Amino acid sequence: MSTLDLIGIGKSYGATEVLRSIDISLASGEFLVLLGASGCGKSTLLNVIAGLLSPTTGEIRIDGKRVNEVHPKDRDVAMVFQSYALYPNLSVRRNIGFGLEMRGVPRARRDEAVARVARMLQIDGLLDRKPAELSGGQRQRVAIGRALVREPKIFLFDEPLSNLDAKLRMEMRAEIKHLHRLLATTVVYVTHDQIEAMTLATRIAVMNNGAIEQIGSPEDIYRRPATVFVASFVGAPPMNLIEATWDGRGLHLDGSGQTLALPAPDAAPRPVTLGVRPEDLRLADPADELAIAATVDFAELTGPDRIVFSRLAGVPILASLPPHSHVTADEQVRLTFSKRDMHLFDRGSGKRIDIPLRPVA
Amino acid sequence: MNGTLTPLRAWLLMLPLLVIMLSVIGWPFVDTLRLSFTDARLVGTGGEYVGLENYRRLFASDAFWRAFRITTVFAVVSVLLEMVLGVLVALLLFQDFRGRNILRALLILPWALPTVVNALLWRLIYNPEYGALNALLLQSGLMEEYRSWLGDPGSALAALIVADAWKNFPLVALISLAALHAVPQAIRAAAIVDGANAFARFRYVILPYLAGPLMVAMVLRTIEAFKVFDIIWVMTRGGPANSTRTLSILVYQEAFSFQRAGSGASLALIITLAVTLLAVAYVAMIRRAAGGKF
Repeated sequence: MSTLDLIGIGKSYGATEVLRSIDISLASGEFLVLLGASGCGKSTLLNVIAGLLSPTTGEIRIDGKRVNEVHPKDRDVAMVFQSYALYPNLSVRRNIGFGLEMRGVPRARRDEAVARVARMLQIDGLLDRKPAELSGGQRQRVAIGRALVREPKIFLFDEPLSNLDAKLRMEMRAEIKHLHRLLATTVVYVTHDQIEAMTLATRIAVMNNGAIEQIGSPEDIYRRPATVFVASFVGAPPMNLIEATWDGRGLHLDGSGQTLALPAPDAAPRPVTLGVRPEDLRLADPADELAIAATVDFAELTGPDRIVFSRLAGVPILASLPPHSHVTADEQVRLTFSKRDMHLFDRGSGKRIDIPLRPVA
Repeated sequence: MNGTLTPLRAWLLMLPLLVIMLSVIGWPFVDTLRLSFTDARLVGTGGEYVGLENYRRLFASDAFWRAFRITTVFAVVSVLLEMVLGVLVALLLFQDFRGRNILRALLILPWALPTVVNALLWRLIYNPEYGALNALLLQSGLMEEYRSWLGDPGSALAALIVADAWKNFPLVALISLAALHAVPQAIRAAAIVDGANAFARFRYVILPYLAGPLMVAMVLRTIEAFKVFDIIWVMTRGGPANSTRTLSILVYQEAFSFQRAGSGASLALIITLAVTLLAVAYVAMIRRAAGGKF
């Protein structure tokens, strides 16, 4: 159980900045998910923590001690890779015990530790097989076992579930969560899958373009996205984003002539982006004032929801409605939402604007 | 026209190649086989059928067994040397450093040189009066006086092996270099995090990916080394005192110097058989290593 501090971490290759001044402070036992699209720098950051890459600027501290100059093997971190990275000609037993073997742990203690971890991961029947004789899920269990057996200070996961099929991914996700609860080791977990991020993390750091856009609890990230990027990246189906102009009279939706009765504190018009999650939209009563009128394209029944695809002045609006909702194509619908569930972002900076929650004028 | 061929059409398309192959390989092979059962001379009479007499005489002769031993030593040592040198150089050239690409390009040079040129170069290096090797060893104090490397039966074979290994290690190095690029980055990283030292990383991470390609290189090189002729012919002609007379040199002497075509033919066939057996054994090994997927 260890703390991890990243202080002003930057990494450049020549003129290309891959990481820009990353600051993260993890308490012992936290589960941090680095979430972002491919190429955002999240794997690079993980490699910096592991010591496989050295940062251009900044400091890495484990348990308060600077480890920038410490070799990966001496940082006491263990890493699980997307491609499993098992040693192809070693048995499962030796794969799991490899780190201990390299550290000169005697055979008997090694075997005991391997057996314990294998039982925990339910791969004790596979110990004499070679990686090539295992399924993808089994291989990933071995890879996790190899990390677990060393009882490291910090676990690093690099998209560990991305090569698995959907069902297996869900099972392994639950298992990783269970293991974390059991061991309470500090974890840094890289993924591009927001469901993994939401379900596993105690905190999520959303990364974009080498920088952290927002770091916070899953709830925070989802309910109070700090930037338009976070708002659009997290959530499926994604948040509806509508360009608008905000002034003293209300929120004017660009191109549609519609105005929402939500006057700005300042009279001067300000270009903003209005964000509403599809599940926060519902069909409006005539009495609802905070409503958008849109034209239905089509609707899809997903089972629990009916996803309505509609348009507002050419901008697609998705609404996740109850399955029994009745809408037909080309119909004009009024979609309403609570002021609590709406998000406003400054269109210039992309940053969140806090909306004064006073009654609609 | 669709993508499949009828068997007849396939055979027709291959016919020109088959005809050429049969005329340049098939026919000489059959004729060599026939010759090996006769006492034919290179010029003059067609020769009488003597049955297995040529083979019996060969297997009873010291010259044959000595040449067989020399050939085996030459092949085994030079191939091993090439393997070790090739892998080491590949590991070196896999590192990231300035000028790496130039060195990689230069690496191919010895291999690209015609064997005769390489042989002549090494003859210069080994020259007893003005050769670079003597100068180097004498000036660095490792040796008291000049030696005739190729003129001494004790050192001629070793000198040849070095020259041959020098020419052929780049092939092994190139194959290894390509294989090194196939080692997944994640496994390298995993081994570093697991605390494996350089030797353990080579053994458990790199070698599994190197073994297959190296095996193929070994097959090719062993077969070639077993048939070696040109480099020896240019450098020592099998001497001194027949200390570098390999089987191929023996065939040449038998068939052309002594003009005993029948006996030469039987020796040539024995080499062919030996090389074929080697190839079959190797292929079986590769197959087993690849788990029958080859």
